[in-house]
Order: sequence, then structure tokens, then C-alpha cells
Amino acid sequence: MAFHRITLTVNGEIELVDVPSNMTLLQLLRDKLVLTGTKNGCAAGECGACTVILDGEPVNSCMVLAAECDGAQVITVEGLAHDGTLDPVQETIIEQGGVQCGFCTPGILISARALLDRNVDPSDYEIRDALVGNLCRCTGYLRIIDAVREAASRAS
Amino acid sequence: MPETAGQTFIHTPTPGLPEFDYIKPASLTAASQFLAEHAGEARPFMGGTDVFVRMRDGFWTEKYIVNVKGLDGMNDVTFDPTTGLTIGASVNMNRLIASLEVKEHYPLLAEAAHTVASYQLRTRATLVGNICNASPAGDTIGACMVLDGTLHIHGVDGMRKEPLSTFFVGPGQTVLKPGDIATAITFPIPPAGYAAKYIKLGRNAIGDLAIVGVTALGFPDRGAPSGYRVRLALASVAPIPLVPTQAEAILAEKPITEATINEAAQAAMDASTPIDDVRGSARYRKLMVKNLTRRAVTQVWEQIRE
Amino acid sequence: MVSKEMASVKIPDLIGKSVPRLDARDKVTGAARFADDLQFGPGLLYARIKRSPFPHAIIKSIDISKAQALPGVKAVVTGKDFPGFIGLYLLDRHIFCRDRVRYVGDPVAGVAAVSEEIAEKAVELIQVDYEVLEPVLDPEFGASPDAPLVHPDLSEYEVVPFILPRAGTNISNHFKIRKGDADGVWNSGQCAAVVERKYRVPHVQHVPIEPHVAIAQVNEGGTVTLWGSSQSPFAQRNLIAKTLGISQSDMRVIAPYVGGGFGSKAGVSMEALAVAIAMKTKGRPVKLRLTREEEFYTVFVRQGLVAYFKMGCDENGRLLAMENKFYWDGGAYTEYGVNMTRAAGYSSSGPYEVPHVKTDSYCVYTNHPVSGPMRGFGMPEMHAGLEQCIDDLAEAIGIDPAEFRKINCLKTDSILVTGSKMHATGLPQCVQEVIRAIDWGRKEPPSAPHKRRGKGIALMWKAPAMPPNAGSSAWVELNEDATVTLGVGGQEIGQGTFTAMAQMAAAALGVPYDWVRVAAPVDTQYSPYEWQTVASRLTWSMGNAVVNAARDARRQVIELVAEAWDEDPEDLDIVAGEVISYKSEESISLKDIVVYGLPKPNDSGWMGGPVVGRGTFMPTYVTGLDPETGQGERAVVHYTTGAQAVEVEVDMQTGAVEVLRAVAAFDVGKAINPELVKSQMEGGFVQGLSTALFESLQLKDGVLQNPSFVDYRIATSSDAPADIHAIIVEVPQDDGPWGARGIGEHSMVPTIPAIANAIYDAIGVRPGPPPFTAEKVYLAMLDAAIAE
Ligand SMILES: Cc1cc2nc3c(=O)[nH]c(=O)nc-3n(C[C@H](O)[C@H](O)[C@H](O)COP(=O)(O)OP(=O)(O)OC[C@H]3O[C@@H](n4cnc5c(N)ncnc54)[C@H](O)[C@@H]3O)c2cc1C
Ligand code: FES
Ligand code: FES
Repeated sequence: MAFHRITLTVNGEIELVDVPSNMTLLQLLRDKLVLTGTKNGCAAGECGACTVILDGEPVNSCMVLAAECDGAQVITVEGLAHDGTLDPVQETIIEQGGVQCGFCTPGILISARALLDRNVDPSDYEIRDALVGNLCRCTGYLRIIDAVREAASRAS
Repeated sequence: MPETAGQTFIHTPTPGLPEFDYIKPASLTAASQFLAEHAGEARPFMGGTDVFVRMRDGFWTEKYIVNVKGLDGMNDVTFDPTTGLTIGASVNMNRLIASLEVKEHYPLLAEAAHTVASYQLRTRATLVGNICNASPAGDTIGACMVLDGTLHIHGVDGMRKEPLSTFFVGPGQTVLKPGDIATAITFPIPPAGYAAKYIKLGRNAIGDLAIVGVTALGFPDRGAPSGYRVRLALASVAPIPLVPTQAEAILAEKPITEATINEAAQAAMDASTPIDDVRGSARYRKLMVKNLTRRAVTQVWEQIRE
Repeated sequence: MVSKEMASVKIPDLIGKSVPRLDARDKVTGAARFADDLQFGPGLLYARIKRSPFPHAIIKSIDISKAQALPGVKAVVTGKDFPGFIGLYLLDRHIFCRDRVRYVGDPVAGVAAVSEEIAEKAVELIQVDYEVLEPVLDPEFGASPDAPLVHPDLSEYEVVPFILPRAGTNISNHFKIRKGDADGVWNSGQCAAVVERKYRVPHVQHVPIEPHVAIAQVNEGGTVTLWGSSQSPFAQRNLIAKTLGISQSDMRVIAPYVGGGFGSKAGVSMEALAVAIAMKTKGRPVKLRLTREEEFYTVFVRQGLVAYFKMGCDENGRLLAMENKFYWDGGAYTEYGVNMTRAAGYSSSGPYEVPHVKTDSYCVYTNHPVSGPMRGFGMPEMHAGLEQCIDDLAEAIGIDPAEFRKINCLKTDSILVTGSKMHATGLPQCVQEVIRAIDWGRKEPPSAPHKRRGKGIALMWKAPAMPPNAGSSAWVELNEDATVTLGVGGQEIGQGTFTAMAQMAAAALGVPYDWVRVAAPVDTQYSPYEWQTVASRLTWSMGNAVVNAARDARRQVIELVAEAWDEDPEDLDIVAGEVISYKSEESISLKDIVVYGLPKPNDSGWMGGPVVGRGTFMPTYVTGLDPETGQGERAVVHYTTGAQAVEVEVDMQTGAVEVLRAVAAFDVGKAINPELVKSQMEGGFVQGLSTALFESLQLKDGVLQNPSFVDYRIATSSDAPADIHAIIVEVPQDDGPWGARGIGEHSMVPTIPAIANAIYDAIGVRPGPPPFTAEKVYLAMLDAAIAE
């Protein structure tokens, strides 16, 4: 199997890695770069726990080949806070009680951040729609939805 | 590897993707050539959202996975007021949904694409991938069919066009040959005064695969005895995306009334040959074809009648 | 006991305050470590498991030679290597199958290799020759004499005294209630109305978003370390050590944050596989991580149920008698199923006072996946039918279903189904609250002409189902700066227990909440003993231990300062981290004294020293029940009770059910952290909704047809109702910390029947067993000729 040398930027850091053809971006992040905040809940594009921002848009990192990411910009949950200051959605999800076990949380936060980047004032329906690919078994979603709404209203 | 116990298939995918070589050709010509030379052991991909799932499941075992994204013009959405819309094969569904031209002239495409999976999956998934995957459940295929889409294919012999009406051969099977790469799909200017609707019935409110999907596009047409034509396409109720021609004929021929719509809905139901699967039974699917065809046609009819 | 005493004192401000979760920041920044996130370096090996493709078969031979020869493979193990039995209540399985496989997915062999891919390849190279046997695929049939035996050796298995297997059958436990004379009531014709119903509840899966992960390492001397996604580190230590024949102290379990458990990570499931394989890898750690698909069919499932109910009441709607028969589909092995059968038996009246009850609850071996505990421990399944039957009985006697429940629901001092008396309960208030909040009796117009609306209500009760002597312990250690390290052995699985424990420790000690740190991860080598993180028992049981430990530390500090100041300890208090005297009005900061003590007067030496408080708790009053009648003095520690009501809308053209809003009221005794309590009520409701509308493991000839999120749907953000109104009722528990009792599981117990009753209210038809999919509802409406 072929290996590929790729350069990519993850949370602002430039990384140079050799990856096998069949390695997913999720495996690259978790196993090679030890960015374990991004979670593996299914490896099949279904649960959203692996969601990261790739070149500005959220993707299921289990559905992207690492080899495709040469030159890419990636943001993971570890890259949401800056200098110890949390992203507004990180703050509001804590305040609203939208975190329980926390396994879905990284993916949820990435989806929420991406939503707010493209839509500063989402409706409740738009929030639910943007999170439909992020399964959460603990919270029942309502507090997460409240958190995204609250983060939007704080930004405006 | 898929394993079986007697007759029963056991779903046992591997933790990760199987071994393969990732290939990124520099040009369409090189890509087609590579794919043709490795017929049976190479597969093109766009978003990979079908390819990776099937490879992990062990259904597909190609040695070469060929990234055909972004080759010559495949990344563009262009609209020409006389000839219509071109969507490059690598344009992902979110870009399609966000495109102003699509919103204005072909909102049905955005509506259908919006029902596919989740936002993050649609960052990868493409319209052309949905079509080439040829799943009877493909949510956007109906919209592409009623909008009269044509695939542009680059093969070893150069470019050709494939209309969707004859593109699908069976579940997951199309007329594509080794070396063929869909580069774009084009749509003519839609009929004047048209309205369209996609109704998807899934198990969850949104995000599920279709138990049944009904696409309807209607427009005034003097040439039709009823004064209107309604194009229909049905998802998840036959081995291929189904056009219930009898139902279309009824709506073209008889004055459109509630009774005509019911009759057409019944014809659509009669045309469908669904199977039982984990999402729903054949019986329910047939009943839903009737109810949702009626619903979709009624909604379209309310918008186009004058 | 802690709180009889505490209840009489003022409840500290911190108790009942919704402080933020102490694990939240780590969880939003990606810093929180789950088992799969731990790093083991290049020595780590990866395990995969060869599993049975048949529901029932004899293993004729296993050939591992090709797998062993594959480069990169470090160990291949089979059942031959591990003769011991394992099990929580009934020791009925081996770590790897030895002679027989009993469900599709049963582990037959295990491989460790340098990569997951190689391990997977090796698994494919293992050849197993089977002789296929007739499977048992239905619990009711399984209980009959005609059924093939799943465990021919049942009579030889070791079992705890309160579980009663029947040799020569597939019945692994038979629990009976004979209270009063139900037969007499039926025969005498006293009942003005009687209804009889049969219900089926399908298997469902827990579906934590984190799949099971275990990493095991066995060092040269034979001591074992297991890192795992675990709700039960101590139970795993105990059970695995026993099976391997090693000392509990040579078995160490380290359990980092758990990405959702719901029961699936309780007891021992796949963890023993990793340990067994690691015994053959010469000290190298071995990681076993289940795929999502394996997660669906190889770990514990919520067992299926076939339930018969017969209920009768007098003309005023008073329940007179019930006769219930439950056949639990316990699956191939019965880690917990036997005890769920028992719990369902001693709770079989539902939260009602019924003078005459006859119940037979059977746990039946089948060739289905292994039954485990799932949030509610049998109660959601049992209430699913019971609470629909109550609605039907109310209708038969012509009384409003909410009113019927008011009449019959348990009140303080009601006589329970096991013959003892109900403790103080707020169930009547819960009923009242949900009736009010849902505007019971008012029918809103539907949102479209092809839709219909309805409302439904259901009640619940549930006790922690556990051995009578399940214990807890805790320690409280003060640091130089007077911050507090709290040691507990219960697990943070998302419910917020670390936060509630820190709150209780802070309140009992007299320091601010943010001074308390929980010593995590739970590590059986350093953490104090805790039976298991199950049964919604931590707030109450571990809470008591924590309060005891904090009060012990507090006593040490106060006695020291009293001596130093020559004051009566009664006059001293610790407030906000300062020791103060109400008499002399002196004060001293804790940080000056909790590690180094205090100087004696005149430089004559020192007193005090490091402060470490210890506390334990174990209920001592639970008695056995008569095996023939199920009657006894005290079957359980207590019951949490509650009610839910929902409003739904049904699409008459598709059958799709939408839950518009929900209200829930539970008597939690005392909400230590109200927002955490409400979070449980909301999350539990949506999980219940998900099982009501979407979920079932579709087993065909024992083979799971839908082992993925694409095929097994759970509720998404689009399915949660617009509003879940959570109402806290507080009637204190006499031995709970400040009166608290559990809420984690209860929140999903009444949801299936509440939704079922609302659907019935909307369309006048009952769609059969859950899940109430659009298809099922539509076809039921079609049969009733009301579908459009
Ligand atoms: C979790 C999940 C949920 C999903 N939900 C839905 C849903 O709700 N509705 C739905 O319709 N689908 C759904 N899908 C399926 C899938 O996302 C869509 O079919 C998608 O549109 C495929 O696009 P793609 O670009 O990813 O295709 P790919 O996976 O890249 O390719 C799909 C097929 O087309 C072929 N192909 C791709 N590009 C070309 C080309 N240029 N020329 C020739 N052949 C080509 C490939 O060889 C392959 O056979 C889901 C998938 C997942 C993983
Ligand atoms: S791990 Fe990628 S979607 Fe579940
Ligand atoms: S918080 Fe546990 S899955 Fe979402």
C-alpha cells in the first residue's frame, strides 16, 4: 500500500506526516497527531463525533482520506479556544448544561461553530437541522440547542 | 468481511478501511486511462461517502481508489439564462444548496439535496456521486430526473452525454463503463411557470434515508389535454429510481381534479415494486407512494393552477 | 445514618444550588480523556475477536494455526485457555466459548497483533467447525418444556441465593408474588371491570456514543491492569479476578471518563476478552475497541419482554387485583437478566396499591444477544404494558385515566406488593403537577387538517435493584491550600455525579464548592470501594459515604481547633473555609491547619496533622423475600416515583408521530443540583421517546439485521420535542443525604406508555408493540379504517 507525504495545518500548527492510503483524517488526527478530542463513534459518517472543520467547512473526519488533506486547514475541538478564552459556544454549552458524558460534545461544538460562521442568527429549526448529524444519547438535545441560540445572540 | 450463517448475511465491517492505493491523477485523460486500464480494480470517487462505507463493509474491494475531484472545470456551478445550469461533478451538496442560481431557478435541487444525511456529510457528498451510486433511495436523483438532467461523461473515447432516463440499470448499476468519469450534470431552463416538490418520508423527522421519496414537477402545457404536465419520480420503491409514466399520463390527459390526482397516485402506487427492508415493508411503501404522490402533486398543482 | 440528623439542621446553601459541572471545561476543550484516548506507546497491541455466526451451535474444532503464522500476530487464544466461569449473579459463561456458541457474536477466539488490520486478517484465518443446533428465539417458547436447552448444565452453575434457576429448563430465574388472593377476586366477581392484555417489548441497544474500549496489560508477575470505558471498575475487578483465580488486589481497573453507559458498561462484558488475550502477550498492553456494529450485537442488550397483564377494579375505580406474567428474553447468558426479572416481580403492581397480586416473572435463556441492564433495569419494559393496561382499565370503568391514577397511585404508608409499607412519597404530587402542566383534558386543534392530537400520561416507580448489601465508601483529604481532594469509586458517566459529590463534600465540610477536586480517574488501586455505578444509587449511597467522610474530616478539624482554643467543639463551625467560633468569635483559615496542624501553646510542641476523613455507607435493612410469595419485610432500599405526560400529533396520511411537548415530575427527595436533575429528566425523556418511536434490534433467526446507525435509528436533534418541562418534587428520603434519592434511570421509565396513551387519545387505536413507527401506526389505522 502506498504512503503519501502530506503537509497540513491543524489548529494553526503546520504538520508534516506520512500517511497510508487508507488512513482517514480521523485516524490521522487521533493516532498520529494525538489530537484525541475528536472522537470515533462509528467510523461510518453516521454519528458526527468525529466532526472537524476542513478548509472552513465541517466534515465527518472518518469520511475523509488523510491523503486528500495535503495543503488543508483543519480545526478540531482543541483549536476552538484561543489563549485560554473559550469560544462562545463552548461557554454557552457549559452554562446551559448541554454537556453530559461529553463524548458527542467535540463534534457538536464544531458543528455549532460552523453553523454560526455561516449563519449569525439561526432559527431553532436551522440549529436542529445543523446538528442532525451529531448524535447525542445523553442530553436530549434541548440544552445544546439553547446553547447555540445563546451563543448566536451573544455575538450579535 | 461479510460473513454468512446459512442464508443470513451478517454485517461485520472492519474497524478501518481495507488496504488500497490512493491515486490522484493530474488530468481527466489520465484518470480515464488509469480507470480503464485497471477495470474491476479501480474506482473513482468524489465525496467518498458511499465508497468508504462500502469498502469498510467489505462489499467493494478495489485496489485503487481514484480521486477524480477538481479535474478540468468539475468544481464550478454556472448558469446561463439560455442554456441552463451546469453543476460540476465535484461540487458538494452544501455548495449546491447555497448557490444563488440554484435557489432562484432550480430550488427543487436544493430542497432534495437538503434532505441528504447531515450538513457535515453534505460537505463531502456530491450530486453526481448520488447519481452514479445509483441507489434506488438516492434523494437527489428524482429531482435531477424531473429537471431533465444530463450527465457529461469523460471516457477513454472522449466526452459524451448520458440522459438520466436511460442511465440506471439496477440497484447500484448504471451504464457507466470502466474509465468513465462524470464531469458535470447539466439542466435545461425549466419549463415556464413550473413548481416542484420533493417529499421524503424517513423514520426520523430529518436525516434518515428515504422509506419513500416522491418528486413532482408540474407546469402548464398547452399541448397536454389537461393543460398541464406533471413529471414524477419515486425513490426507494423499485430497483431503480422509478418514473411512474402511467401516473404522468393521467395527469396530462384528464382535467386535474382531486379525483384525477387520486387516480394518478393510485397509478404511481401500482407502478412501484418495493421490497421489505429494515426501514419499511413493501406494503407500507406502496401505500405511502399513493399518499405522498397525492400530497406532492396537490401541492404542486396548487402552485401552478391559474 | 446521615440525614435524619441532617434533616433537622438547616440545609446548607450549596445543597439545592445548580453549580456548574466540574468536568465541563475539560469536556468542551477536548482535554477530557476517555479510554480510547489514553496513549500506550508503540508496544501497544490490538485485539480483534472471532465470533460465532450462528445463534446456537456446538464447536467441533477450532484451527488457529494459520492465524498464528501470520506475521505481526502476537497471540491467539480460545476457550481452551480459560476454563473459569464468569457472571454477576449466575456464573453461566466462559470468557471465550469452549464447547458451544449461544448467540451470533459469541466470542470464540481472540487475536492480538501489532495493528488492528493484521488482527482482523488473523481473525479471518481462524477456522471454526460448527454443528448447528436448533436455536431458541422466543422467551415464551423457551420457557416451555418443548424448547431445546440453551444451558444443559444450568443446575451446576454457581448462583447467589436470591436467584432461583430451574434445572432442566431454560428458566434462569422464576420470581413469584402471591399477595392476597387474586384468584379469589376473579372468581368472586367483585370486579366491576377487568381487562386482560398481552404486550411485547423488543430488544433495544443502549447506544452510548462511545463504543466499548478496554486495554489490558498483564505483567510478568501476573498482576493485571485494565483501562476501560467502565461503569463498574470494582465489580470488574472482582469478577475478572475470580474467574482468573487471582487476588482482587492483583487486578487493577482504571476507568477514565465514560462516554455514556446506560447500563451497557456495567458488570463485565468485553473487558474480560481483553484481559484474557493480554495474559498471552508477555506484558504488552492489548487494546480491544468494538466497532459500532459490534457495539450493536455483541454487548449487553436491553432484553425483550412478553408480558401478560390482568387487572380488575371496583365500580369506583379502585384496583382490586392484578395477575401478571412476564417472560423476559434473557438471551444467551444472563449477566443481569435474572435480577431484572426479580426487580420486575417485586415492582409488578406498578406504582399502585393493589390488595391482591399474583405475579410470575421468568427469565428465559434464548439464543439472542446477552441481556444486560439498561437505564431503568426492566422498568421501562414492564411499565410499557402496565401503564397502557391501566389506561384501558380506566376506560373500561369510565374514569378519566389521570383521575384513575390519582385514585390508585401509591401514597405514603400504602401497602406495597411485597407486603411492606411505602415510605414517604411525593407520587400524588407528581401526578398533580403533570396534569396541571400538560393542561390535561384540554384538546388543542391540530396543526394541519390531516393530523390529530392527543395527550397521554403514565406513572412509574423504581427501586435501586442490587444486592441488599451494596456498599459505598469515600475519603476527603485536605491539601495545603485547604482545597479538598475527594476520593470516590463511583463513575462519572455523564450524569454529573462528580459534581454532585463535590457539592455534598463542600457542603458537609464547610468549604466553597470550587475548592473540591475529585480524584479521577477512578482507579481501584487508589479509589475507595464502590459497588457499581448503576441503579441510580450514587447520589444516595455514595452521597452518604461522601457526607460521612466530609463530616469526619470536619470533626477532626473542629476537635483540633477546639482544643487549641480551649473551646467546646459545639460552639465551632466551618464556614466558607474558615473555622469560626460562635462563642469567642475567633476564626482561623483552614489552610493554616489542615496539613501542618497547630502549635501547642508556649512552643510546647504541635497537635493535629494531615486531615483525611473517611466515610462509608451500606444499607443494612433489606431483607429477603419468601420464595413462594415474594412477601417480606423490606424488599428494597426505597422507590423513586414520578409521572410524565406528553402531547403528540399523528399524521393520518403517513402514521408519523410527533411528540410536541412533554412534562415530567419526579420525587427526587432533595435535588442536590436542580439543573443536573432536570438534565436527567430531559435526557431520559428523549431516550425514552427514541425507544418509543424508533428503536428495536431487528433479530431474524438470531441475526441482527440493523447493526448500524443508518439502520438502527435513534432520536436526533430533529426529534426532540419543542419543550420538556421538568418539575422537581421533593419529599425527603429518610436515609438520603439531605433527603436525596436517585433520578438517572427513572426519567425514561414511563415514556413509552405515556406516548402510547397519547397516540391512543389522538386516534383511538393502539398500534401494538413499540417502536411506534409511522408504518406501524399507519397500518393500525388502516385496519381500523381511519387512515387517510
Ligand atoms: C451516514 C450517511 C448517510 C447518508 N444519507 C443519505 C441520504 O439521506 N440520502 C441519500 O441519497 N444518500 C445518503 N447517503 C449516501 C451518499 O452520501 C450519497 O449517495 C452521496 O451523494 C454520494 O456522493 P459522493 O460524492 O460521496 O459519492 P462517492 O462515494 O464518491 O461515489 C459514489 C459512487 O459513484 C461513483 N462515482 C463517484 N464520482 C464519480 C464520477 N465522477 N464519475 C463516475 N462515477 C463516480 C463511485 O465510484 C461510487 O460508485 C448517506 C451516506 C452516509 C455515509
Ligand atoms: S465517527 Fe465519523 S461520523 Fe461517527
Ligand atoms: S453528552 Fe453524552 S452523547 Fe452527548
